[in-house]
Amino acid sequence: MSGLYVHVPFCLTRCGYCDFNAYEGLDHLRGRYTEALAREADLAAWGWAGERIETVFFGGGTPTRLETSDLIRVLDHFREIFAIADGAEVTIEANPDTVDEEKLSALREAGFNRLSIGAQSFDPAALAALERVHSPDSVRAAFAAARRAGYDDVNLDLIFGAEGETLSSWRSTLKGALALDPEHVSAYALTIEPNTPLGRRVAARTREAPDPDLQADMFALACDALGDAGFEHYEVSNWAQPGRECRHNLGYWRREPYLGLGAGAHSYRDGRRWWNLRPPEQYLASVEAGKLPAGGKEHLTVDDMRLEDVFLRLRTRDGLPAHMVEAGRAAHYLDEGLLARSKDRYVLTERGMFLANEMVLALTG
Amino acid sequence: MTELSRIRNFCIVAHIDHGKSTLADRLLEITHAVEGRDMRAQYLDKMDLERERGITIKAQSVRLSYEKDGGSYVLNLIDTPGHVDFTYEVSRSLAACEGAVLLVDAAQGIEAQTLANFHLARDAGLTIIPAVNKVDLPAAQPDEAAAEIAELVGCAAEDVLQVSAKSGLGVTDLADAIVDRVPPPQGDASAPLQAMIFDSMFDAYRGVITYVRVVNGELPSQARIRLMAVGLDVEAEEAGVQAPDPVPVERLTAGEVGYLVTGVKDVHEAKVGDTITLAGKHGASEPLPGYREPKPMVWSGLFPAEGGDYSELRDALDKLRLSDSALAYEPESSMALGFGFRCGFLGLLHMDIVKERLEREFNLELIATAPNVEFHVVKVGGEIVDVHNPSEMPDPGTYERCEEPMVLATVITPAEYLGPIFDLCQSRRGEMLDMKYLTPERAEVHYLLPLAEIIFDFFDQLKSRTRGYASLDYEPWGYQPADLVRVDILLHGEPVDAFSSVIHREKAYRYGRQMAERLRELIPRQHFEVAIQAAIGSRIIARETVKAKRKDVLAKCYGGDITRKRKLLEQQKKGKERMRRVGRVDVPQEAFISALRVDQGTGTQEAKK
Repeated sequence: MSGLYVHVPFCLTRCGYCDFNAYEGLDHLRGRYTEALAREADLAAWGWAGERIETVFFGGGTPTRLETSDLIRVLDHFREIFAIADGAEVTIEANPDTVDEEKLSALREAGFNRLSIGAQSFDPAALAALERVHSPDSVRAAFAAARRAGYDDVNLDLIFGAEGETLSSWRSTLKGALALDPEHVSAYALTIEPNTPLGRRVAARTREAPDPDLQADMFALACDALGDAGFEHYEVSNWAQPGRECRHNLGYWRREPYLGLGAGAHSYRDGRRWWNLRPPEQYLASVEAGKLPAGGKEHLTVDDMRLEDVFLRLRTRDGLPAHMVEAGRAAHYLDEGLLARSKDRYVLTERGMFLANEMVLALTG
Repeated sequence: MTELSRIRNFCIVAHIDHGKSTLADRLLEITHAVEGRDMRAQYLDKMDLERERGITIKAQSVRLSYEKDGGSYVLNLIDTPGHVDFTYEVSRSLAACEGAVLLVDAAQGIEAQTLANFHLARDAGLTIIPAVNKVDLPAAQPDEAAAEIAELVGCAAEDVLQVSAKSGLGVTDLADAIVDRVPPPQGDASAPLQAMIFDSMFDAYRGVITYVRVVNGELPSQARIRLMAVGLDVEAEEAGVQAPDPVPVERLTAGEVGYLVTGVKDVHEAKVGDTITLAGKHGASEPLPGYREPKPMVWSGLFPAEGGDYSELRDALDKLRLSDSALAYEPESSMALGFGFRCGFLGLLHMDIVKERLEREFNLELIATAPNVEFHVVKVGGEIVDVHNPSEMPDPGTYERCEEPMVLATVITPAEYLGPIFDLCQSRRGEMLDMKYLTPERAEVHYLLPLAEIIFDFFDQLKSRTRGYASLDYEPWGYQPADLVRVDILLHGEPVDAFSSVIHREKAYRYGRQMAERLRELIPRQHFEVAIQAAIGSRIIARETVKAKRKDVLAKCYGGDITRKRKLLEQQKKGKERMRRVGRVDVPQEAFISALRVDQGTGTQEAKK
């Protein structure tokens, strides 16, 4: 199975923590960008002819900044040139303030069947610290609209560890999310990336970096709360109701092939990874000139593939086949409750998941 | 050959930074030994390290031709190392002279090392020519300084020369005084050859070049000679004088100073203080008095920072040894630091220099354990063990007593800082012997102190408590019983041999606590809680804890940019590989370097004062 990722780099405002390829103030490029996505698909299609596409994911940025009709046109075009399977998972990310029932219904009708809402928090103070412009109520409104529009597979994205956020405010956020009864929850520990406004402020000591111990407590709380609510913790940062795992993301972790379209998007197949030009203008110029917008590529060595295989698998509940771990390396971690053995596989415990880097290095050497 | 009556052999006794090298530069100029275009500052200092630090480590003698009253004189300037580590070398240089210029900074006054060397010079029977330098500086107090020197030397203040080595003021008068006051050398040119080595250096092309004072007899340019202390006969290749470039001569005769290319390849065979004579029946039967084997005072383990450079370190030490007869080393293996060498040094400056040369000239990255002195342990039954590595210290209960080396320390200080100095010496287990005032404002204090206390940041403390005004000199005194214990540092229950220290019982608790606190800051959190303990035997005297790490994960891992995540992980992997493993604890190199760094100060800071 293969995946198709579509990157939409536009945002109403750029949040201080975000290090994705996203921009505010480039909305005037939206029309050209939509065209370019279609053109790029044409250019890339020959390499993926006959490849069965099981998942499609529109991410960003904020994909819902694009006009509904444009989104639909792009998806329809993809259907024409790629072998998108019946029953494929088609996800679109949405920021709460960019969607309403009408837009969501139109998208649903066009074939988007999974919605990922960037809720981030249900605590106004945490949302402010994250520089999110929406309110908890607009998350609830967007979620309700999604249900009315017929989405039965909705994810809520959450972030924990914003400055000022306490364990009890995180508890309320989890409650707020669970109250909506979503099929899927992603909860990410806020990470300070150096090349972001927040990263620079932390470096200049005008803002505080998240306390890793508090984040560990928050993570443990999420594990408990979501577990109690019947969610399965199937990847470090992802929980799903049984059968509602995000198939697209599972594809990344299982190292299935994927084609990325749009500015800065990455693709992978058969040990090769390549990525597009990041700046939207450059991306547009290349595609409009009829050229694939190549930004870079790498050929994975055997060691690269092994390391990726281990660290991606270990993040998920799939874990590692026991034969991939040298005898003796696992013993301490089993004793310490960071690793568990289930039949012929090693799987991280929830505590071990939050130490996944350490575990990867420890188990592979 | 020069008439003995026309030769003056002299040295300059001065404190670091009081202008000795500059004065030497001026003397080179007024005697036209170096033409202006070839001149550079600190001409006689050989190593870059010396010029950088503004200190003289290795002396170089020079022969100057000087005209006075229609007569032509040979002035042999024998440069001397100006640091407490090299007292023995100084004494040999002094023994090659008949006179010494006592040079004192007009703003600073006399300092402890100058005083010590002055006493050495006077005890050696040298004629002292007192001089005040830097008299033209704004802060200079030439009259006060002259009075202080006059008091010390026992002359009238008017007899103290006033000099500015920088501008050249008074330098000619000084040269005249050397001719007038320093007696010419004496010696019996017809007696069997006795030449004293006062310096030796290794030259990559010519082997060991010795600098000698011929005391009796004649040293032919090419002859079969005997190095008496070592008992080695070799063919000498060339004798000559430094003017300052080497000029071969047919022979050096009694009273003269020059160099001899010995033909040996290792400075350990031509040691400072040894006597050269002719091999065979024409040789002298007795060596000159005063030879001493160099004896390391301070020991430290040197380890390659990256494992695997052990053989490079060994090669570098082997090479360095050719030019440094005082350097001692033996292989050592540490559980924590791997294979390295336990090295013996004359003192802290010597240690610093060796380390710096290893790093600079041989491109090595090193971890050095904290320096320690050599202890004598008297075991039950009477056997005496020399311990120069804490790991060799026997377990408590297996020995009767322990002895540590003591030094006789001289501190010269403005009187207002006496209080803080008493406090410092007291806290370092010092015993005051006596005290006297040099002037109403300045005092000289003598203390008996454990050497172990001096090598542990004593000098820095002295400087900071006296705003840099006090100076220190010390000389070995002997061994004395002391209540010493070995403090071990344990990480997660495993002792880290590199952190063990032999220390006085009273200080053990503080040392243990400090190391534990320091390590708590330096050891990264592991996925389990790490106990850092200090222990004497099985008794724990301090404990710190590094909390368990609970978060170590790449956050969001989708969007397909797996390359970047993999690279982050590879970086983390490399960082982990650079760490040393103690039991299950990963300890970064930097932790060893920082934890073992003792800001002992080596005397070189004085130059920056």
